[in-house]
Amino acid sequence: MSSNRAPNGLEAAFLANRERLLRFLRARGAGDAAEDLLHEVWLKISTAAVGPVAAPVAYLYRTADLLMIDRYRSERQARRRDKDWSEAAATVPGVSDAPSGERVLIARDHARLVAEALDALGPRPAAIFRRHRIDGVQQRQVAEEFGVSLSTVESDLRRAYRAVLEVRERIDEA
Amino acid sequence: MRQDERMTDEAIAWAVRTGDPSFEEWDAFTAWLEADPAHAQAYDRAVAGVMDAAEAGSVAPANDDVAEEAPARGGWRWLALAASVVLVAMLGFIQLRDASYVVETAAGETRTVALADGSDVTLGGAARIVLDREDPRIATLEQGRALFSVRHDDADPFVVNVGEQTLVDAGTVFDVARMGKTTSVAVSEGVVLVNPERKLARLEPGDTLSVTDGSDAYRLGTAPVARIGEWRDGRLTFDDATLGEIAHELSSSTGIAFSAAPAVAERRVTGSVALAPVEQNPQAIGPLFGVAVRREGDSWIIDRP
Repeated sequence: MSSNRAPNGLEAAFLANRERLLRFLRARGAGDAAEDLLHEVWLKISTAAVGPVAAPVAYLYRTADLLMIDRYRSERQARRRDKDWSEAAATVPGVSDAPSGERVLIARDHARLVAEALDALGPRPAAIFRRHRIDGVQQRQVAEEFGVSLSTVESDLRRAYRAVLEVRERIDEA
Repeated sequence: MRQDERMTDEAIAWAVRTGDPSFEEWDAFTAWLEADPAHAQAYDRAVAGVMDAAEAGSVAPANDDVAEEAPARGGWRWLALAASVVLVAMLGFIQLRDASYVVETAAGETRTVALADGSDVTLGGAARIVLDREDPRIATLEQGRALFSVRHDDADPFVVNVGEQTLVDAGTVFDVARMGKTTSVAVSEGVVLVNPERKLARLEPGDTLSVTDGSDAYRLGTAPVARIGEWRDGRLTFDDATLGEIAHELSSSTGIAFSAAPAVAERRVTGSVALAPVEQNPQAIGPLFGVAVRREGDSWIIDRP
């Protein structure tokens, strides 16, 4: 007999698709950290209690993709804090590590600017963006709820994404 | 500029599609990413920007029937919260990157962990090992059994810490067990150096060593190489082990609670146990070790015949 625990579906999919996932992480910009990040994907699926997954390969890619996004956002956050720190340090040396007043204003404006930018697209794209990105409803179901085709949902989302990214850029340039 | 615009449009289109749980065309997405390293950056910007907006937008009103000031304040509070969530996520991430992590098995479970350097570790039941994500060449076995299959690297030897002992591989498959304060090592392939900086012992295939914390008195022995790590295949061999130790190991390996009665706990026996029959009938070990096995509630007591 063997008491080895058989790998579950997700782990088996990982082992069978290791190279593909590695290639994806490299393409995603992981560089030298690709192996480490792949290992992190493995740890996430092998140590966390993940229930049965309908599409294990897609799930693995998504996990890897989200790791990269987390990494990007963390690095960006750190860069912003460094920038805030150096700005604060330049004006009041060694006194405050609080964000500069300007940045507080900008952050406060973000929510309002996002709302304005979305609403400017018209009621449906704004509502579809919120339903999908904020309520977390799948695109197919959003399409059913709004009585439109999936491609209309995608097209509304593209417009909404473009609008909120323009807000983001305006803030970053300020 | 025009090309940037097109790239941003493409990144947005991918972000819309990958953002839905039903998305499956990861190969096509990989191909797009590989076409230009700037694509990944554009995609990151798009997804992160959309996530920021969704977080900020979670409290922003969808219509105008709220006073102008209120949503802005609410939005800011929420955004501050979102920022702190991002910060916490980042700290968690850094911690993950730096810190060690623990892999544990339940009694009766066997599990193989692949390490980033190509080595792997198979854990027996009720084992606990601490690994380091930053450095796949170090492991600390806190309890239980582990069989290490180590990819050898002269420049960066694999190190196993166990109790007060340090094991350094020299190209190797080896079995380590930690029971209470006693560490046992058996080498199946290659060479393991035990405590190279304190009291060096060099183990070759078939060599075994056991040592108890608080002393550097090594008990050296030999074992047939084929037997080393055989617990993975559901067999445990005991060589002059106490019935107390055997009860403990059987419990870890089968998930069935065994204990030795005080009268026999220190008695030493030798024998090899196939676990499958024991899992079917815990009393099967009786004749092998010349003991009686009786049931008390949920556990099985090894006692005088």
